[in-house]
Amino acid sequence: MDIQALLIERIHRGDRSGAHALLDAWAAEYGYEHIPAEVLDPMLIQLGNEWSTSETFTLAQMYVAAKVTEDVLDKVSHLFKVPGEGKPPKGPVVIGNSEDDFHALGRHLVGTFLRAEGWDVHDLGNDVPAGRFVDMAQEVGARVIGVSAMMLTTALHIKKVREEIDRRGLTGLIQLAVGGSVFNVCPGLAEEVGADGTVANALKAAELFVRLGEQSVRKETGA
Amino acid sequence: MNSMERIQATLAGKPLDRRAVAPVLGLYGARLTNCPLDRYYADPVAYVRGQAAVREMFQPDILYAPLAFASIGAAFGGELVHLDTMPPDLRTPAIQSIQQWNTLMPPDPDSHPQLLYFRDAIRLLAERFGSEVPIVIMVPIPTELPDMVMGLEGWLETVLFNPTAAQRVMDKVIPFYVRLVNGFFAAGASFVVMPCGFASSAIATRKMVSLFTRPVLLNVLAQLNGPVILQSMGAPMLDHLDLLTDVPRVSAFMVDQTDDLARARAVIGPDSVLFGGLDCTNIGRMTAAQVEEQSRAILEDRRQDPRFVLGTSGPDVAWHTPPENIHALRSAVDFFGKVTA
Repeated sequence: MDIQALLIERIHRGDRSGAHALLDAWAAEYGYEHIPAEVLDPMLIQLGNEWSTSETFTLAQMYVAAKVTEDVLDKVSHLFKVPGEGKPPKGPVVIGNSEDDFHALGRHLVGTFLRAEGWDVHDLGNDVPAGRFVDMAQEVGARVIGVSAMMLTTALHIKKVREEIDRRGLTGLIQLAVGGSVFNVCPGLAEEVGADGTVANALKAAELFVRLGEQSVRKETGA
Repeated sequence: MNSMERIQATLAGKPLDRRAVAPVLGLYGARLTNCPLDRYYADPVAYVRGQAAVREMFQPDILYAPLAFASIGAAFGGELVHLDTMPPDLRTPAIQSIQQWNTLMPPDPDSHPQLLYFRDAIRLLAERFGSEVPIVIMVPIPTELPDMVMGLEGWLETVLFNPTAAQRVMDKVIPFYVRLVNGFFAAGASFVVMPCGFASSAIATRKMVSLFTRPVLLNVLAQLNGPVILQSMGAPMLDHLDLLTDVPRVSAFMVDQTDDLARARAVIGPDSVLFGGLDCTNIGRMTAAQVEEQSRAILEDRRQDPRFVLGTSGPDVAWHTPPENIHALRSAVDFFGKVTA
């Protein structure tokens, strides 16, 4: 069995220390600097494909996957100058929970997986006013804002972020990603709040942010 | 039949004048009485006034005591935040780390104002309506209560990676939990509904349910003085339902809208009551005609099931739900008329 499959098996079992032991053994032979590209990335892609619907994974397994990812990032962080394990940086993004939303876990998972893919993540925390998202995106030059919400009422507050982006003439230049369990329960809610995109789980967020980042570039260049 | 008789007949599998209907309308009472939510979730008299309006307008077959889990977290020392159209939430939990459990003392269910609010609301509801309609309160299962005290992330981390510490937490939580819930029964609760996030196949692995959630439920529920309904809380529970069917005191299961009702019935057997229905959030985003049509489809599926109740899936029916959508649940039930045993 290859290292990715073995790691995924440990994640399914919730065996974080077992995953550590595997990574350490692999690194002893090949070096920690190769873990991100040769182990972590393929594993996250494989998990993302396997967990493509909410029926195929549990929050607990997703959490273990995020912790293993964080562990890898910690182990290799001293080897690289920038976050993202030496890959070309993908640029800054801004994430946070919508106004009145205090359920941080999903956002934390998204932040971990985005960092693993080379994004420079600016996490604004819980209960973030709409203007603050856009202020920060402009300040750091982010092309994507990601807003997390757990309940319908707090998801509907995301409309204010949409309005703020549009009011400042940034439509298309700053893309709006949304996520949270309520978007899986309520079909059409992402469109209703004015999102440019959503995905069913945190592992898929990196893929979404790449796509939205590209849309932003196309808008800017007129391509 | 009044609602009490209807629910009792459903429990016994006896004929009914119509199917029981039990949407979760705790929050909705505040909307009907135009009551600010910071008052509604602090003053039991205001809450009961709201439920009187619910009862008058919709005649539900169950009345719910306040569904405000964050208030339990606040009783442990968390910071509560009141919201405009939702029950209160926790801005910050009481503690941030597992080590803080060592010195944390659970609040006294007999004297803490935030916990007495629940008990007083149950008592007042039971005094006013208890002869005609069951009074029910929702309390998360004991393995989920620490989530309200330290936040989901910290608790999940503990359960997954530090089972010894998780067990120590449960040793502290369980006596509190038993006193709290038995106090609700003593005040007049007919049932306690227990949302089971830590038993859901969307949240917990089968191993977590088998080795952690289930043993705690077997222990705790045996100490309770009244019947329990296990509830999905808006997440699928069917895949782990077989691990919960022999838990003591459980007389009913409220499954998720995504759970197959026929499969759920096959797992729980013929003697337990099964609740099913539309998602509490989506019900407000549909038309009344859609609500009635989809509810009729559910009832058609359960036509031969004498122990089925049409409920809603998840927590409270959303604030913005039009009243006609809630009336549509009753219309769907009336369409089918009597239920034969």
